[in-house]
Amino acid sequence: MIVLYVDYGKKMVTKNKKAQMKMQQMIFMLIALTLFFVLVGLFLIMVVFSGAKESAALLEERDALLLVSKLANSPEFSCGGAFGGVKINCVDSDKIMALKSNINRYSNFWGVDGIKIKKIYPEESSVCTFENYPYCGEIILLTGSGTGVSNFVALCRKENIEEQIHDKCELARIIVYYGG
Amino acid sequence: MNHKNKKGFQISFAWLFAIIAGGFILFLAIYGVTRIMDTGGEITSAKTGTELRVLLNPLETGFESGRTVLLTMPVETRIHNRYSTSGNFGAQIIQISQKSYGKWSQTEIDVRFPNKYIFSDSIIEGKKFFIFSKPFKFPFKVADVIYLTSSEKNYCFIDAPERIEDELSDLNQKNLLVENCPAESVKICFDTVAFQECDINVNENLGSVKKQGNIVYYETDALMYAAIFSYRNAYEHQVKRLMQRTNELLLLYDTKAILLSDQGCPQDVNLFVFRSIVNNIQDSADLMGVANAANDVKRENDRAVCRLW
Repeated sequence: MIVLYVDYGKKMVTKNKKAQMKMQQMIFMLIALTLFFVLVGLFLIMVVFSGAKESAALLEERDALLLVSKLANSPEFSCGGAFGGVKINCVDSDKIMALKSNINRYSNFWGVDGIKIKKIYPEESSVCTFENYPYCGEIILLTGSGTGVSNFVALCRKENIEEQIHDKCELARIIVYYGG
Repeated sequence: MNHKNKKGFQISFAWLFAIIAGGFILFLAIYGVTRIMDTGGEITSAKTGTELRVLLNPLETGFESGRTVLLTMPVETRIHNRYSTSGNFGAQIIQISQKSYGKWSQTEIDVRFPNKYIFSDSIIEGKKFFIFSKPFKFPFKVADVIYLTSSEKNYCFIDAPERIEDELSDLNQKNLLVENCPAESVKICFDTVAFQECDINVNENLGSVKKQGNIVYYETDALMYAAIFSYRNAYEHQVKRLMQRTNELLLLYDTKAILLSDQGCPQDVNLFVFRSIVNNIQDSADLMGVANAANDVKRENDRAVCRLW
């Protein structure tokens, strides 16, 4: 067995130590640099996405505001000519109850979180079901939370008074919820 | 005798490490910036698409016959008009790409709206767009159909019936002309003018529109404009979507009729035949049959003690 003893000498050892120091310095520098870039990147992404989030919230608000002002005239809500002549901002209460029973077919159709129609006068607090309709005060189409925007509408329906069919319209508010 | 330098070129480990690691960091930085720019572009596209959706809300008409709005974009924009017929209502799909540094941004972001019906070419390009809407009644109001055109493209209505001329004049939309048409405008001829001179031919007797050799059929003026402004495939699919919504509304009117009968209203309107015809529509050629059934239920509804619509 041959054993080799190598004598690096004092100068060589010092040089090696110096190189190791330099390498360590560089590694630390590179790690710091990478961290710096990562942080800058994260900051940029945060700025870009916070702007997008704000824009999305603003658009959602504008969408809800514009929707609520026009929703009463959409085919699923409007009175059409059912109450004599075409009326604007008139909601057909019977059609809304029909819509309520088929609401699962309209998932995400209007792109809002909630829609409800609340009678203002005469004021009634009970939520409408098929059992208590039309003697109720609030038709909840889509249950949702969030910010609500509303618009005044005429809520019309047919009513039988002493075997005579009459048109009955009441003052109501249509409320659209977003951002829930 | 030549003495070659045998020492060669030597790179220390520190240099080699610095070059590799530095290159990697630079690559990461450039890649990151590109991704952020792409994401920014996609966000802008999605934002513009959603803004368009918001802008379309006021076009829901009350009793007025039609209305037009001008949409101005800050940069050259391409609106890709797509559609889907899946689900109860299908969906209108919009993709937006905008010109940035002379290049069109690529986007895969779809902005979907199930309650809108936009009729246009498959890609509309420009900075200014006209949006014009009209209620589609069949026989009750089904939806407001929207016609989207670029302000750079003029449409010339030649020998149009008086009602169409009056409507276009009332709309006052700059790119829909009935006289003094520029030479490069799209010529839409009604019945009388020879076909060769026209880009689009409307036959009012047959209720058909011939465009680029394809014939589609329409009922009501709302669908006539739709056939004029859109391409064949989109028109056929959007008509199908409109029939899907008609079917859903018929379901509501059916339930409403039951509610009204509880109030003592006689069930004067029979929607069964109309519903089965609406359900079985294959393409626009079947519209005439649906229109006949629609007229029948309209007559019944007009005479009813308690009107459904």
